[in-house]
Amino acid sequence: MIPSASVIGVLAIVLAAAWQPALAEEEAVYRLKWLFNISVAGGLYADTHGYFSEQGLSVVLKEGGPERDAVRELEMGQALFGTASADQVIRARAMGSPVVVVAQLFQVNPLQWIYRPGELRIDRLEDLRGRVIGITYGGNDETIMRTLLAKAGISEDEVELFSVRYDYTPFFQGRVSIWPVYRNAQGVILEDRLGRAGEKTAFFNPADYGVRFVANSVVTAEKTAGRSPDLVRRFVRALLKGWSEAMDPKNSAETIRTLRRFDRETPENILSEQLAVTRRLVVPKDGAPIGSIDEAAWRQTEQIMIEQGQIQEAVGVEKALRPVF
Amino acid sequence: MLHRRVYQFLIIFALGLGLLFAIKYVMGLSDYVIPSPSGVWETGKETARRYFGDVGNTLGVAMAGQVISVFLAGFVGIAGRRATWFGSFIKVAAYNVQAYPIVALAPILFILVGDGLFTRLLIAAMICYFPVLLSVLGIMSEPVEDIEHFYRATGRMRWQLEVKIRAFENLGKLTTVISGSATLAFAGTIVAEFIAANAGIGYSIRIALYQSDMGKILVALFMIGIVLSLYQGLLELSGQAVRRAWGGS
Repeated sequence: MIPSASVIGVLAIVLAAAWQPALAEEEAVYRLKWLFNISVAGGLYADTHGYFSEQGLSVVLKEGGPERDAVRELEMGQALFGTASADQVIRARAMGSPVVVVAQLFQVNPLQWIYRPGELRIDRLEDLRGRVIGITYGGNDETIMRTLLAKAGISEDEVELFSVRYDYTPFFQGRVSIWPVYRNAQGVILEDRLGRAGEKTAFFNPADYGVRFVANSVVTAEKTAGRSPDLVRRFVRALLKGWSEAMDPKNSAETIRTLRRFDRETPENILSEQLAVTRRLVVPKDGAPIGSIDEAAWRQTEQIMIEQGQIQEAVGVEKALRPVF
Repeated sequence: MLHRRVYQFLIIFALGLGLLFAIKYVMGLSDYVIPSPSGVWETGKETARRYFGDVGNTLGVAMAGQVISVFLAGFVGIAGRRATWFGSFIKVAAYNVQAYPIVALAPILFILVGDGLFTRLLIAAMICYFPVLLSVLGIMSEPVEDIEHFYRATGRMRWQLEVKIRAFENLGKLTTVISGSATLAFAGTIVAEFIAANAGIGYSIRIALYQSDMGKILVALFMIGIVLSLYQGLLELSGQAVRRAWGGS
């Protein structure tokens, strides 16, 4: 018996559907700013919970570090997305690098200074006068501290600037009064360690004194944003979903479980505290969605960099801000 | 010899720089990734004087570190040349210290000796001494039978004489190793400055890296290369003078 034309047609459609290869996920490399720790919780959460796959993306998260520069890798084509600090972005724009910002991860800069309130009380900027202040020469903490000192009318010879490195011995020994730390990462660890030794600690936050120097943001190349806006949108959507879920208090246990898979060195109680602090720095206070770009803070960051001689003239930073959602 | 060292370095540096610029223009990279020739020139004009002072500072520490390491390697090499328990103990200690990464030792050094000049000196010496030690151990463990046999047979051999004979017979090797170790002392000092100091060219490079300023890094590399070429050339000249004075040729 010869099958009818309609049966053949149905069979052809079924076969065609069966033969059609599964849609391949688009690949993307995402260069982080630092090693796998609490500061990249959202990216890790998005990756392990399949949010990138949901958006048809296969994303490789690569750890950052002091020798890694996401902006350079974007230009070289080694990464499609990255996390970079605002000063990195502005400096790169000033030198002609076509980098754009698609989301701002930290609403408050985690770079703060730890000190012992028993030895030093900071109620106003003038209280820094005569103190030994730790800064990383060349780092953005130097820029921030110099801005604060200038704001308070404190000249450099009224304080002692101490060059900090990876190890905290000078702070532990009390040779340095205030020491720069990432509030949500090392800040929690030092607070815990000194607390166990019976010492009280406090944090000096530049934002409390009006200096809002923007920290980690998600960046991509102008070319990628222009040619593949859908790809960028899907990436940012997945990443920010990861951040929103990771920062949601009801998912705390799951976030810590996720982090423990990548960061085995940090004890669970510390991770829990780090998560609570990170939440305060990442979630916007005005109810705006996570990842919102604070344009005023970006303009202030640009202004600070001009005043500190880090760039010669304004780069028009608002042109680099391309919020995707 | 000095001018040859310098122009050879200039050729190598120019080739490297040319390659970087070729990559920049072929790939259409911005000045942030690789600065333009005029950008490097401008940065050079701004920073050359300061960086030259920094390299001079580093060189001073490297030279002192090298002297320490040569003495240390000489001492360990002479003490460890014999197949005795003490000789073996010295060798094991020397090898193990070398195996530890400097970045891991740095915090201990900060606690013990602070974070100033002495730490730089110590790290420079630690990085530099091992190759010298290996050569000294090799030379000192190898008897010069033709000459030593006579002194042994006549019962006049002393350890000082043994060391002198072996050093004299291998003078060429020793001076070459010492001159070559200048590079390591310099590199060691830069590493020390990078992780543990507030002065020197390593410290300046660290700041430039924080500022993602490739132009400054290129200027720093140029300064290091020039000064190191001159220093190595001078060491080679000194080595030749020593060989002429001791060897009579």
